[in-house]
Amino acid sequence: MALTRRSYWALAVGSLIFRLILICFSDDLNLGSRPEVATPVTSLRRLAEGYWLKNSSMSPYSGSMYHGSPLLLPVLGPLTIKRVEGLPSHLFCSSIFIIIDFITAMLIRATGQKLISTNHQSLQRLNLSCVQETTGCTNVGDLASLIFLWNPFTLITCVGSSTSPIDNLMVVLAIYGACSGLPSLAAFGWVVATHLSLYPAILVIPVILLLGYGPDVPPSKLFLLGKSDESGSDYPSDKTSSKQRSKDGSPIYLFSWRPALCFILWSLIWSSYIFFLSFISLKEFGGLSEMMKKTHGFILNVEDLSPNIGVFWYFFAEVFEFFRSFFLIVFHINILFMLVPLVIRLRHRPCFLAFVYIAIMSMLKSYPSVGDSALYLGLLGLFANELAEMRFSFFLLCGYFGISLLSPVMHNLWIWRGTGNANFYFATGIAYASLQTVLIVESVSTILKHDRMLRNKLTA
Amino acid sequence: MPAEEDQTKQPRPRPRLIVLIASYLVSHSSIFSVVCCIAGLIAILLLPVLAKNTYISENALMPGSANPVFSGQDVSEAIRLVKDITEMRKMGKTTGIEIQRLIVQRMADVGGEAYYHKFQSQSNQFHPLRFFSCDSNLVLTKSGSNTSYGLNTVGIIHAPHGDGKEAIVLVTPYNGENVELNDALSLGLGFSIFSHLSHVSWLAKDIVWLAADARYGEYSSVSAWLKDYHNPVFFSSENVDANMQNTNMLNGRNADVFKRAGTMAAALVFKITEKMERDSRDSLNIYAEASNGQMPNLDLINVVHYLAVHRQGFRVTIGKIVYLVNSAWLNLVGQILEWSNKLAKSLNPKWNFGILSADYVEGVATLASSMYYQALGVPTGSHGAFRDYQVDAITFTFSPRFYLNNENVQSSFLLRGGRLIEGTIRSVNNLLEKFHQSFFLYMMTAPNKFVSVGVYMIGFALLALPLPVVAAALFLNQKATGTAGIQEAKIAFQSWKWLHAARVVLMIHLWALIASLMPYFISQISNLTATESMLLWVVGSISILLVLYMTLGSPYSRSGDVEWQTLKAVMIASVTIGLGLMSIINFATAQIGALLIVPLCLLVRPLKRHMQGALSLRVLSLVCNPILVVIGFPPAALVLVKGFSEGFGGVSIGTVWEVAEFLWAWNSATYLYVFLVHLPCWVLCIQILFHP
Repeated sequence: MALTRRSYWALAVGSLIFRLILICFSDDLNLGSRPEVATPVTSLRRLAEGYWLKNSSMSPYSGSMYHGSPLLLPVLGPLTIKRVEGLPSHLFCSSIFIIIDFITAMLIRATGQKLISTNHQSLQRLNLSCVQETTGCTNVGDLASLIFLWNPFTLITCVGSSTSPIDNLMVVLAIYGACSGLPSLAAFGWVVATHLSLYPAILVIPVILLLGYGPDVPPSKLFLLGKSDESGSDYPSDKTSSKQRSKDGSPIYLFSWRPALCFILWSLIWSSYIFFLSFISLKEFGGLSEMMKKTHGFILNVEDLSPNIGVFWYFFAEVFEFFRSFFLIVFHINILFMLVPLVIRLRHRPCFLAFVYIAIMSMLKSYPSVGDSALYLGLLGLFANELAEMRFSFFLLCGYFGISLLSPVMHNLWIWRGTGNANFYFATGIAYASLQTVLIVESVSTILKHDRMLRNKLTA
Repeated sequence: MPAEEDQTKQPRPRPRLIVLIASYLVSHSSIFSVVCCIAGLIAILLLPVLAKNTYISENALMPGSANPVFSGQDVSEAIRLVKDITEMRKMGKTTGIEIQRLIVQRMADVGGEAYYHKFQSQSNQFHPLRFFSCDSNLVLTKSGSNTSYGLNTVGIIHAPHGDGKEAIVLVTPYNGENVELNDALSLGLGFSIFSHLSHVSWLAKDIVWLAADARYGEYSSVSAWLKDYHNPVFFSSENVDANMQNTNMLNGRNADVFKRAGTMAAALVFKITEKMERDSRDSLNIYAEASNGQMPNLDLINVVHYLAVHRQGFRVTIGKIVYLVNSAWLNLVGQILEWSNKLAKSLNPKWNFGILSADYVEGVATLASSMYYQALGVPTGSHGAFRDYQVDAITFTFSPRFYLNNENVQSSFLLRGGRLIEGTIRSVNNLLEKFHQSFFLYMMTAPNKFVSVGVYMIGFALLALPLPVVAAALFLNQKATGTAGIQEAKIAFQSWKWLHAARVVLMIHLWALIASLMPYFISQISNLTATESMLLWVVGSISILLVLYMTLGSPYSRSGDVEWQTLKAVMIASVTIGLGLMSIINFATAQIGALLIVPLCLLVRPLKRHMQGALSLRVLSLVCNPILVVIGFPPAALVLVKGFSEGFGGVSIGTVWEVAEFLWAWNSATYLYVFLVHLPCWVLCIQILFHP
């Protein structure tokens, strides 16, 4: 798994070239019309429609076509109508998405390097460097960014005109900013991600934890244990303020309020800025209330019941109108229920917590696409050292392959051949959701096992 | 899967039942797989016994409830048209569009809307990127220099009681260049029905009669018309120019304007053929297989079968493989079944399955033919074009018991054929919604017997079930042996060790993808015979495999990394996914593929590693592996099948190329299966076989 610098860049650039080649065939692949790739919220076709409506001085939200942010219209809109003869229609947008994917990968890589250095430091302070030597230390940054770049889901999302690369970039930006202690950057990423797709709002918890405690470390009890065992040994000096204190004997886990408050302040600034910009662009078309109703309201109300790989559409197509609001609350609260227990158990690993949240989010979203899975599968690589002993890895890989091939076939059977029905397609959606559940459960339990292993090593 | 191992290692007081069962299965995987495979084979052989009688599932169809009113007068219309056409042929005027003109004139005379449909013959072109997408709106605009046109004639009767939203399509293909007597009779039959329907009052769906000009093949003319029917053509300046040049005026209307009726409820393709061997009754042959193993709704076949047998007295046949009827071993199996049936009956009179040896053999031959055509993925007639638009369609050919030029026979034959078609149309006319009540996934074992998906899946499922179990067993054994003697330090990434094997499997699949696309580039080189192309293909594939080995690393170079058990486990997992997918796309292919590949996958092991166990088992493994490897290689299997069915004289290397080209041209999913699932699996099996 050791990668030289050269081979890493060769692979990274190779993935970009591969994307370029795929873009040449994007009209043949016709991925933009696949329900797995483009959802009503992220479809670029709908964005082009919204841009056209706005240009003809109508509300971009009229006709329930466009449900994205009004700020994306002036950015991507002009690119959707620019055509070059003989080349695919969304060439310019796709090239932008390639660049965005590359930036995302680089941010993941930088985050990974941050994680490695903190991990290394904390293990040294625990006198457990032997763990690293024996298990071998993978350069998780390189690994995660390569997984992200070469993941078929990312490739498909990049080529198949959908705006999810932008959402992913913003989420990664928030995590990166929080990891490197830049509240303004983290706030920007978080606010824009929330503005674009609402669900990243729950990432506020891991981001504040990251800013307060710094990146992932083993649980705090271990440090106390280690300290009582070997008091007097010389620890290498740390840069983070919270860890500096541990040297003086005060608790290691001290929440530093300053960056967290900075983050809140910055998010207020950024969100008011975003609202202001949206207000300007939608001044004649109903203003902010219209925007909230047609973007976040659309996501929460699950108005579009066209089939996708999620679990919402099938249920809300069947449910009686009378119970609809009740079940909407039940379905959405599902995500919120899991936040608190996870935060209690995983508060020492905020980065991993962010990964778990993103995975849960992409499972219980109202309009999920493979682009969401691409993000969390890429982030999974960041924890390769901790997840080295994960069970079911082979089963999960087979499952992901199987489901991602089966889902289009079932869709074809239902929509085109007419020999199947909606249950066939929804079955793959359920299987996909359970696969993600297995992934989340296994990864969390492996992390906890890893912590226990460290503890055993320390006490032994 | 690894969960079970943990369970066994640290026995808990009460492990869960499902874990117990799973671990039991995994620990006895070899016995389990042998039992499952044998049971699967038996289940497949028993399919003709398990077949059910067909029944009409949709109540609205009510076949045969109305008396047919198609009369001798209508037949005389047909005879008149046949006479006109034969006279034309005698005068040598059949090369142009005289026949089309005549048909359109007649259609307009009986009050239908008629028009010409001009289409360009185009060979099917393989495009791997848009394989299953049915939106064929990408019209091939590049018109070559040697464009050839055909001319269909289409007539529409608007239903007096209908809202014009639904239609029933009748198709009579005929050879426009050289009209034989049977073609003329088909046209006559089609026209007589058309004229009869133009004055009936019960019609609720529009009738469209397409006289398809089959000079470039039946399928292409029908599919061209269907494409134009479903995709509106927007007039560009070129189209207008072309139309201006030869405008056909008919009763003051332009007969070149494309007209439409409603959505198609069903389509019947019928023609009259002359039979070679004489028979006691007139016979009706039904063809139903469309592309990629899709079948029309069983109700449509049932209606035609019911009316033909119980009302008009035809003998209905469907295709069967004659070679199997005479095969000795099949007769033996049939006799064994009959004997065991007798035995069961003597034990308990209620156990009577009513199997006769002859019936069984007949059923197997029909089932084999049904399976073969479904697996081939190539439509058996022009009805296949309708299935691409989700329209249920069948082709039936009438063959009279006497010679066609006997005039007395002609009229009675036409009368009964016309009544059959009228009755079918009447049934379909009753439909309130699309055909949906009966089966879409079935295989026929006789014209009135079928095996539905729930039954034929059993055999396949039993065959495929050992695969995941054996994969899990191999995977767990590998882990167990891997962790046994080694220090704890090295277990890190133990659970990810399969990644090396996965890389090898991925590389082989990449190679297979490249190899499957190669014929496209080879076919660009002109003036190559089939043998040359095939050799080029083989050489190219092997060289690409070598290049891939060099760049991505041969599996043997670091043999320590890739244990053969892990490689086998990953290979079996990939085959399981592939077979599962294929069973949904085209079941018959998956079934035949499973018969070939599953034993190979389960038995393969390195020749150099000595197996523990009895001598007989070792000898068996040594003998079985090479045989299975030879049979499992797709070209070898093809050559063997061709050789046994048609004799080894006509088989050459080029045959393989021709078959591949045939599958390719018809967009058959079988091509993809063979190259993306079967071939990589075979290559991996070879790798495991020669594993050091």
